[in-house]
Amino acid sequence: MRTGHFKESTGQLIALTDNPTTKAWVAALVVALLAAPLLLGAYELGLLVTVLIAVVGGVGLNLLTGTTGLISLGQAGFLAVGAYGNAVLMVDYGWPVWLSLPAGGVISALISLLVGIPSLRLKGLYLAITTLAFSFIVSHIILYAEPITRGPNGIFVSGAEIFGFNVQKGPPLYFLTLFVSVAVVLLALNLQRSRLGRAWLAIRDHDIAARAMGIDLTRYKLLAFMISSFIVGLAGGLISLQIRFINIDVFGLILSIEALAIIILGGLGSIAGAILGAIFLTLLPEVIRIAFNLVLEPGSSFYSTYVYEIRGVVYGFVIVAFLRFKPDGLIGLWRDSKKFWSNWPLAY
Amino acid sequence: MSLLKLENVTKKFGGLTAVSDIGLTVEQGQIYSLIGPNGAGKTTLFNLVSSIFPVTSGRIFFDEKDITEVPTHALASLGIARTFQNLAVFKHETVVNNILVGLHSHLKADPFSAAVFWGRARNEEIRARERAEEIIEFLEIEELRDLPVGTLSYGQQKRVELGRALAVRPKLLLLDEMVSGMNQEEREEIGRFVLDLKEELGMTVFMVEHDMGIVMDISDHVCVMNHGAKIAEGTPDEVSNNSDVIDAYLGSRRKSA
Repeated sequence: MRTGHFKESTGQLIALTDNPTTKAWVAALVVALLAAPLLLGAYELGLLVTVLIAVVGGVGLNLLTGTTGLISLGQAGFLAVGAYGNAVLMVDYGWPVWLSLPAGGVISALISLLVGIPSLRLKGLYLAITTLAFSFIVSHIILYAEPITRGPNGIFVSGAEIFGFNVQKGPPLYFLTLFVSVAVVLLALNLQRSRLGRAWLAIRDHDIAARAMGIDLTRYKLLAFMISSFIVGLAGGLISLQIRFINIDVFGLILSIEALAIIILGGLGSIAGAILGAIFLTLLPEVIRIAFNLVLEPGSSFYSTYVYEIRGVVYGFVIVAFLRFKPDGLIGLWRDSKKFWSNWPLAY
Repeated sequence: MSLLKLENVTKKFGGLTAVSDIGLTVEQGQIYSLIGPNGAGKTTLFNLVSSIFPVTSGRIFFDEKDITEVPTHALASLGIARTFQNLAVFKHETVVNNILVGLHSHLKADPFSAAVFWGRARNEEIRARERAEEIIEFLEIEELRDLPVGTLSYGQQKRVELGRALAVRPKLLLLDEMVSGMNQEEREEIGRFVLDLKEELGMTVFMVEHDMGIVMDISDHVCVMNHGAKIAEGTPDEVSNNSDVIDAYLGSRRKSA
């Protein structure tokens, strides 16, 4: 029987993991992800790309809302900035995608300062409303800045190539998304165990005490805004590559709410939670579709007619159920089940 | 040598004068206690020293430097740390992380090297973690180190808060009602820690305290405030026999004919 897991150096204490079981599972996951294009059909691979983009966006928002405690309802705005930044630079200015994608993130990070600086003293609901207003401003600017954004006509995004591969469909898009999401997850994990991550957590839990410990609130809140928006901007750029046509309708309020739902369902403040939440919420519509197809008689158009209504109802129901029964989200569920099995057959 | 010096410090909240023309000097290596009835302005004075409020008038000097205008977050790197009257721990975080936050001003990693977490940034984290372990050992909270602070008892949380302040490696430690709400055993332990800090590490301690037992036992110097003003100061013995102090705490005897 395993009695414990012992550490022999301080380096082990601060490592992401030194547990052989965890390492083996991560290795298995990496192999599975690398082999996915061989095993999955085009539709499933596309779905996996959507999941990975949601992971990037969820991890980005989690740094701001989960870790630093700054609630943002403006994610759609940052996604739009990242997507348009990438699309405009690539299509109109002929930048290669490996440059325009991060540039979209950088633009998103710079724009986040416009929201961040005036809302430094805001918390909770007040900040949520401010960021919401920001996303409306962004969509209006995009709509009226026709010379750059083509206003209501939208932009066709095409011709993204890396090493001669078209990274807008199939395995190349998948591998690009996989690379970005793995990089973002590692970056977020590292930030969270550094002085930055601790400063953010301190600000979330007790901002006056954080100041007394030498944490400059202005600096760290703005850093949280910028890094989070950079990551969300990357997600926006990936969306523009995947759907190949962007206009302002893509980035509606519902997207911001879905982003919040991802990190709340996953478990606020936890990166693993954000990943789980992204998988769960992206696959939920698929599960609903399959479930309805099983129940309904073949050829029934009930589901396809009411797809948005059904989805909305189920989303709402799932969120309410989680908040009521499992406020610490999927990651809380995971921790509880781990505890249950390691203590079994005892209750605790 | 004086470490902390207040000159004519006054704080007004609208028409209310919370701190009125206070001057005091905390000498290097002293345990200096600030006492007084509730509402005397002790905590406000602490908040002025740690720059949480700006002073209305007067100057504050630390280590011969004028720190009146220095923002709160810059005080930690100068060597001032504090605890709060009502618990101000980061309650969702583990004990270790709480203490590591105290080391913030000693770490240098920028966002890029923190995100990569390799080489210098990693070595720095390892050293920080070792330092945090030393503090955990000093405070005898080894078995709590990985628990979220919110799940600990009040006394344990206070101890974590003290650990977090020690991690700043301060020259001056401000303790705001450290032992309130603790039982006799916990009080004695905290008293012993404070004496150890002074005697082993040469730390200067400036504390607000209601517990007269601790104040009289370990203080080198006591200052008494009432209604925002200083009414007495001196050694514990001098203060406890001062008639103004007795009046402030117990009320004055009616002068009858």
